[in-house]
Amino acid sequence: MLAPALALLSVFMLVPIAIAGYLSFTDWDGLSPTPGPVGWANYERLLSDVDVQHAAVVTAVITVVGTVGCNAAGLGLALLLNRRNRFTSLLRAVVFYPYVVGPIIIGFLWSAILGADGAIANALIPLPFLSDPAWAVGSITFVVVWSQFGVNVVLYLAGLQTVPASLLEAATVDGASRWQTFRAVTWPVLAPSVTVNIVLVLVGLLRVYEIVLALTGGGPAGRTSTFAFLILSSSFRSNQLGYGAAQAITLMVVIGALALGVTALRQRAERAVAA
Amino acid sequence: MNLTRRLVLLPVVFLMVVPAYLLVVNSFKSQQDITQDPFGIPLPRLSVEYLVNALNSPDFSLIKAYTVTALFAVGVNLLSLLVSGPAAYVIARGTKVGHRALLVLFLVGMFIPGQVLVIPVIYVLKTLGLMGTVPGFLLFETTLTLPISMFLYVSYIKTVPRELDEAARMDGAGPLTTFWRIIFPLMKPAVVTAIVLHTIGVWTDFVNPQIILGPASSLYTVTTSVYAAIGKYSTDFTVVYPNLLVAVVPVMAFFVFLQRNIVSGLTTGATKG
Repeated sequence: MLAPALALLSVFMLVPIAIAGYLSFTDWDGLSPTPGPVGWANYERLLSDVDVQHAAVVTAVITVVGTVGCNAAGLGLALLLNRRNRFTSLLRAVVFYPYVVGPIIIGFLWSAILGADGAIANALIPLPFLSDPAWAVGSITFVVVWSQFGVNVVLYLAGLQTVPASLLEAATVDGASRWQTFRAVTWPVLAPSVTVNIVLVLVGLLRVYEIVLALTGGGPAGRTSTFAFLILSSSFRSNQLGYGAAQAITLMVVIGALALGVTALRQRAERAVAA
Repeated sequence: MNLTRRLVLLPVVFLMVVPAYLLVVNSFKSQQDITQDPFGIPLPRLSVEYLVNALNSPDFSLIKAYTVTALFAVGVNLLSLLVSGPAAYVIARGTKVGHRALLVLFLVGMFIPGQVLVIPVIYVLKTLGLMGTVPGFLLFETTLTLPISMFLYVSYIKTVPRELDEAARMDGAGPLTTFWRIIFPLMKPAVVTAIVLHTIGVWTDFVNPQIILGPASSLYTVTTSVYAAIGKYSTDFTVVYPNLLVAVVPVMAFFVFLQRNIVSGLTTGATKG
């Protein structure tokens, strides 16, 4: 009964990872019948490649700012929406809908709004939202947060339902202010929720691709390529599959290390709260 | 507090709604009206012409793309259930360390970015002779659903009393029969959650259909046909807005009807972890 699931997992996940690992030590161009071994050359090249450095910076900015943004906006809004009526469920839908629409469509919609001939340029003021590298990274980060924080609102709202009403009442009876109640009651109970939200956003943002493709196509001059974007473009546009594989393996290791690291750190925080 | 609430919520709602407003309004306007006054509604000059063009585009049939994507979603959901249901049952009922390890192995897949897999998967698919084919795409896409399915099903089956299994075994049913006849009918909430999440996943997926199916198969999903349609005419807003609107409407309908399931699906998925 396990066989079909294990077969799929092996053929389409474990074997491909092994292949990527193998290809990352070759100079395969996707065409030649036998990939030539090159040792650690691809990984050494990663360290000195200017495009990789740009992509690493862009990815880091999107990930750090986006993770803080999604979580701050998600928790903030969840606290404001944490009451049951028709108005709040409508608002929840309003912040959540981009998740269902999907990143490629969201990216195209925002490029029609932010682009050089887009809605903002024509109706208000022309600003280099997508044409200046620094602005463009900001725009990408904004659109990513815009399209994803609704998920965090929903997850934090679910977390808030686990805060015992009796504790909140007790805090009110004892004359605690709103902030004191949040700090002493809500925040500790929410700790596992915070962990899940941070890890999910982190893992999601490290692989941002479609929004970049639709908004800037990685440009101008490759200055807004994320790491995930770079992997696919070095693999396909420039036929450097061996090098692309080295980038892919690196991204996978970074994501794994960050996910484990954050979970470990948060577990310590959760235990500290419980003690 | 109510004033602060409004002061925060109003700008948020504004930011969330304006793109949707532009999308709807500009789908009925001419290029000139869109560029001169993107936010305006020139009532006498509104026209459904552009939407009709988007639906009848000679390059890409969006109607066909809907059908293809919907069939893909059905196929992936069926395969995912057939494969992960019995496996989840074995793991949920298993008592050995190995079962726990297997579950972890399945869940680790959640952290592996598609970009890492897709290139070597091409290699695998070529070897199997499945590159650019529907079965190849469906099998890979199904594999990507396994982490979520296994997680949801294993945690759900653990809440189903083991006495039911034993009763079935007394009656001479094998494990596979027990799963499909006794356990599966009780799993409706978990199955609905999985279907909702996977359907959104397949519907919004762009990279995998674009790369694995590619232009060679001439099979376009909604996302890849919108990409192909808009890529060529990205400065012609009478193409961009209507195509996006046509792509979004069915998803929004799905969302409005199933909002409750989507939300509960996401939250059970994330809070039990």
